[in-house]
Amino acid sequence: MERFIADLVKNYESGRMDRREFCQTVALAATVYAAGDAAKAQAPRGLKMIGINHISYTCPDYAKARDWYASVLGMDKTPGTDNGQRANLAFGPEPGKGGSFVVARTARPPANPRPPAQAVVDHVCYTIPNWEDGRVNAGLKATGRPFTSRSGNVNVLDPFNYPVQLANSEEENPWK
Amino acid sequence: MEGFIATKLDEFDRGKISRRHLIESLTLAATTAYATGGAKAEGPALKVALVNHISYSCPNFRQAGDWYSKVFNLDQVGLKETEVTLPFGKMGELPYNVTAKDVPVTFIIARSINRPQNPNTAGRPKPEAVIDHIGFTVADFDREHAKAELIAMGVKNVRDGGLYSLHMDDPFGYDVQISGLANNALTDK
Repeated sequence: MERFIADLVKNYESGRMDRREFCQTVALAATVYAAGDAAKAQAPRGLKMIGINHISYTCPDYAKARDWYASVLGMDKTPGTDNGQRANLAFGPEPGKGGSFVVARTARPPANPRPPAQAVVDHVCYTIPNWEDGRVNAGLKATGRPFTSRSGNVNVLDPFNYPVQLANSEEENPWK
Repeated sequence: MEGFIATKLDEFDRGKISRRHLIESLTLAATTAYATGGAKAEGPALKVALVNHISYSCPNFRQAGDWYSKVFNLDQVGLKETEVTLPFGKMGELPYNVTAKDVPVTFIIARSINRPQNPNTAGRPKPEAVIDHIGFTVADFDREHAKAELIAMGVKNVRDGGLYSLHMDDPFGYDVQISGLANNALTDK
């Protein structure tokens, strides 16, 4: 800014800029500068959400959960992540490109116990594209798990009775 | 399939399509149906594309909504008596790296834990599983920068998690993890 004004002064002094023009230019520069500062001061804080990275799912037997989420919901068992106590199940975009995963874990006493939360994630809903009621219902019926359905929307209990919802974009979207 | 065959046959009978056309149509339909059947037998019947929403229940859904809005820059839409929705994007936007038009952006529904019970879910057995934390992917994640920003916002119990992430507590003590794209199904072990 200082340099900019110095140049203006030089131009004014040399007669390349008249008084009126000089004043208008400095005033405009000051306005722009102040606006920039205000924008900085009001810049939104907080993080920019991309999506769900993972869901940490703890249950009595991770292998049973792993196999159910892979065979019923089509999640991919991620190679190299199954250590006999947990496994990653990927879905959506590729890993590292915005994809998500479920970490299925067998419950064990925590190393650093935390006070119990007052909140709970009571169910998770997944989107199934190219939804066909018949295909979805047939797929769930084959699992033998209880489920309820209406067009574009089903609710099923996983092997540990955790509620899982499946829906299409018409039934479940933020602006419905 | 049967309906399709009947329609084609009807068209043939009425002279709308030639014999050759009928044969080609039916051959194509039959082989396609067979191929689809084979694929279904090999793979899962369903394939989830994305988390549609997380249903989060807590003692004060407005407080939760405000916290997630502030920390993650999320709008609040669809305010109801016992819940509010926080989409991870604006209306008309597609989720990150998703091109399918029928996959909406993910959202959180913050709900009152004391809301009237849904009659459709009454009588369900108690789950033996729990979702003990959710990890969120944030853009341009820099751990130290994010840590400083979260602490400045008054977020509680901000702590490192593994190589690539941070954990924190939300207002109701729920464990929230954040990371960048580097933390993914291949790297989180």
